[in-house]
This record gives sequence, structure tokens and C-alpha cells, in this order.
Amino acid sequence: MRAPQTIKQEFLKKWILGLQLCDFAKQNMSMLERKKAIKLSADIAIASTRNGMTCWSRALVAKASRDYGDKVLVERMLASESEKLKKVSSIGLIAPNKWVIIRSKKILRKSRRARRVRSSVPLSVLAKSIAKKMVKKRTQVLKSLVPGGEFMDDISLIEETLDYIISLRAQVDVMQTLAKATELLNGK
Amino acid sequence: MELPTGPGHRSSPMRPQSEDTVFDSLQFGEDIQHLISVPPENASSFTALLELPPNQAVELLHSPDSTLRTRTVIETHHQKPYLQPQFNAANLAFPTNSGLIERAARLSVFAGENLNNISNNSLETSSGPSNSSANLEKVVKSEPAEAESDLNPSQPLVSDPTTVEIGAQNQRPVKRKEREKKGKSSTKKSKSSGNDNSEDAEKLPYVHVRARRGQATDSHSLAERARREKINARMKLLQELVPGCNKISGTALVLDEIINHVQSLQRQVEFLSMRLAAVNPRIDFNLDSTLAAEGGSLMDSNFPSMVMPLTWPEVQVNGNRQNYQQQWHFDAVNQPVWGREEDSYNFITPENSLLSYDSSANSASLHSNQLKMEL
Repeated sequence: MRAPQTIKQEFLKKWILGLQLCDFAKQNMSMLERKKAIKLSADIAIASTRNGMTCWSRALVAKASRDYGDKVLVERMLASESEKLKKVSSIGLIAPNKWVIIRSKKILRKSRRARRVRSSVPLSVLAKSIAKKMVKKRTQVLKSLVPGGEFMDDISLIEETLDYIISLRAQVDVMQTLAKATELLNGK
Repeated sequence: MELPTGPGHRSSPMRPQSEDTVFDSLQFGEDIQHLISVPPENASSFTALLELPPNQAVELLHSPDSTLRTRTVIETHHQKPYLQPQFNAANLAFPTNSGLIERAARLSVFAGENLNNISNNSLETSSGPSNSSANLEKVVKSEPAEAESDLNPSQPLVSDPTTVEIGAQNQRPVKRKEREKKGKSSTKKSKSSGNDNSEDAEKLPYVHVRARRGQATDSHSLAERARREKINARMKLLQELVPGCNKISGTALVLDEIINHVQSLQRQVEFLSMRLAAVNPRIDFNLDSTLAAEGGSLMDSNFPSMVMPLTWPEVQVNGNRQNYQQQWHFDAVNQPVWGREEDSYNFITPENSLLSYDSSANSASLHSNQLKMEL
């Protein structure tokens, strides 16, 4: 039972540690690069508060270390973290056979769509199938939103979404307060 | 109440003399005294217990041996077999004594035999108590069927909607099984045992599902129903978490709201990181023991003091900026957190030595960027 306060505190600590590791001394850093570094350290910080227990945190770390040009930075940030996160950042997230399964599911789905079946079904069954399709579509969208969502089944997807929303809220709150504070101070 | 595997495990009794004393009631008390006096914390004594014939073991179990914690199981079994409003980890809510057997198997040293064997055996033995308590079941059946299914899943979850540990969520589904054929039930149990093996030792490795009145009882639809109920329970949690979802009915629309919420949060993170990148030409954090020291207290109360040591470079203030800052100040006063800012402002300026400050040319260009980027 973690209170939101502890999440925010941990996140702030780790984020600031990460920001210190980012080398902002380089003169050639444009604003976009700075923004990338800030976002990267924030993402890794919020993922490490979960300590590798949740799927989205591992996926987030893997994505961050893949997208960011400099993997050394990521590894330095995770220097004090659990072994799982370090492993995730260095290897990939998912074993290759999972990708095969996902690809084959996509092929099946496309072939199913290609079939044109004009069957006269009763209205109730039709309504149910339409509802199912709607839910299915939205589940797909949610899977694309939550990091690492494509590899989860429905039940764990909902659990991960819950966790992810809580962590995102904490992240947004802390970043907002920090942004306000810096703007306030800068105004002085 | 019998331990079904009692006689089968006396292959290597700890004390051979006990076999003779089994039928001798005079020495019975001595044995009990001896066993109780042995410190019962370790599993080996529990092993000794299980090697005794069943009636002796039951007697010992009923004895005030609190470390075994089985007494609470038996008591709850007698008193409240079905409705357990508090789901306590130490208080097994399982109506059958198969829970006891499971725990015995787990705790014992000689757990070389399969848990499956025990569970299968317990199935057959549970038919005995279940028949006797079948009338109780009919009484419970009169209650709305949803009450029990909702009670168990939602009870430990609703109590803490904001922070949910994923492991804790899987502790719930314990509903009463009501089946004639035990062959099908064992296959169902072994099928869902894989899901629950990772949970803590208090939990049985299978799910009891009640077949409601007028509904199909084959294993497929039962499994589907269990899955659907799991999904619905978690969706309810999500509904409570996301603001504005309470009134919406229907999974698709709720999912819409959830997706919108997640997207807006992610966009907020992007914009905030852009804001932070724009504000500072260069950030040099002087992070020291202050953060570590303040780890224990609430963030709200400490955030200003945490932020103050992190000094920011001073930027040239033009007229625009000052008005803006004053507006900010008034806004900030509304929040109780920022009330302390006024005190700590005095401490900031001496700390300029910690700053690493860019040349004014850089800051001016940044300033113009910032003004363009008014969010």
C-alpha cells in the first residue's frame, strides 16, 4: 500500500539524480536535446520506482534505452537499481518467440477480416458482436498506449493500466510543481 | 475431519514407540505432553504431527498450539463457512478443510509428494463435509448471487483504489464450488492452478466457482465466467480511478475515457518536459544530503525546502517577466505549499555561488524562446 506521497518522493529523488547525470554542460545542447534528456530521466525515474515488478516499467526502460542515442547514460542512471532493470536495458524486453506469436496473430486477424460472410444473424447476436468489436478496437488502442502492452493479455493489461495511470499522475504532479518552482524562481 | 493421508505416512515415524502407544490411552497424555513441549516452531514437529494417526493429530491441532495457526482455520470453518467480510491473510476464508491440508502439505518437511495428490484426495474428502453442509449452501443460495462474487473480489480492492499492488489482486476468487462431477472439477482446478502458483502460500492453487442458478456448468463456460468476472472487477477499479467514469455504463465507453485520460497524461508529460527545458539555459543541481535527509517526510511540506537548495541561474528580468512573476506569486499563495516560499526567498540569493551561470547572450536568446513558448 504505497501512498502517492512516497511515489512522488522517490520519483523526485531519482529524477534529480538522473538529471545530474545528464551532462548539461555541453554548449551545443539545443532545447530539443535538453527536452529529450529531461523526459528520458523522468521516464526512467518513474519506471524505477516500480523496481521492475510491473511489465510497463520494464518496457519503458527498454524503450528509453533503445530510442535514446546514448545508452551509457541510461545505464549510469540505473547503476543503483535492481538487476532486472539493468538486464532489461541491456538486452531487449521480449524474447523473439513472442514477436512471432504477435505477428502470426496479426496475420490471422487480417485473414479473418478478408473473409466476406453475409450471414443473416438475429439482431441480438449482431449487437453483441458489434459491442465486442468496439471493445476489441479500444483494447488495441490501449495496448498501443501502455508501454509493453502488446505482450499482455486482457486481465494483466487492465492491471498494468491501473498502475501506469497512478505513476503517470505522480510524474505529472512532480514535474508540474518543479516547473512552477523554476519559473517562479526565474521570475526573481 | 480426517487427514486422509495420515496412515499412509507412517512409513518412517519419528518415534517408533508411538505406534504402540496409539492404542494405549494411558500413555496418550504423555505423548501429547512431549509433543507440545517440543518447540513447535519448526516444520519438523509438524511433520511429527502428521505422522500420527488422524485422530491424534486432530486432537493436537485443537490443542492451544497457536504457532500452527490452524486453529483459526478450524474455528472459522465451524463458525462462518461462507461469508468472510474481512479477508485476512492469516484467516483463511476457505470453507473446506482442504485449506488446512494444503497448508499442512506446504509447511511440512516431507512435502515430497505432490500437492496435486493432496488436492485430489481432499476433493474426495471434501465431498463428505460438503454434503453435510449442503443445506447451509441452499440457505446461502437464496442470497443474491452477485453478493458473494462481488464481495470477495471487490472487498480487498475497493478499500484501496488508488494504490493497488498487482500481487494482492489475485488473492480473491474463492467462491463455493457446487458440482456433482469431480473429474471435471479437478481438471478445471489444475488448469487454473498455473495462474496462482506464484501467489503466497496462503492461497489455494485453484479457483472455486459457484455455478449460479440456471446457468451452464460445464468447464468452458465456468472458466469464461471466472475470466469475465475478473475483468469486470478490475474494470470497476479503473472506473473509480479515472475521474468521470463512474456514471458511464458499458465497457467500450469506459475504455474510451481511460484512453483519453492516459493520452492526456502522456501529453502533459511531454509539455512539462518542454517547459522545463525552456526555462533553464543550464541546470546545475547541487544535490546533497538535504534530499536524503528529508526522505521520510511528506513531499508537500518539504518540496519547497528541497527545491530551494537547487539553485537556478538568474535570468535578466524585463518588465514582462516581472508582471508575470507577480501573477505567479498571487497564484502560488493560494496553494498552502507555497506559503513558505516567502521565507526561503531570502536564503536563495546568497547561494548564487553554487550557480553555474551562462553568458548573458545565451540567456537572452533563451528568453525569447521562452516568451514564444508561453504555455
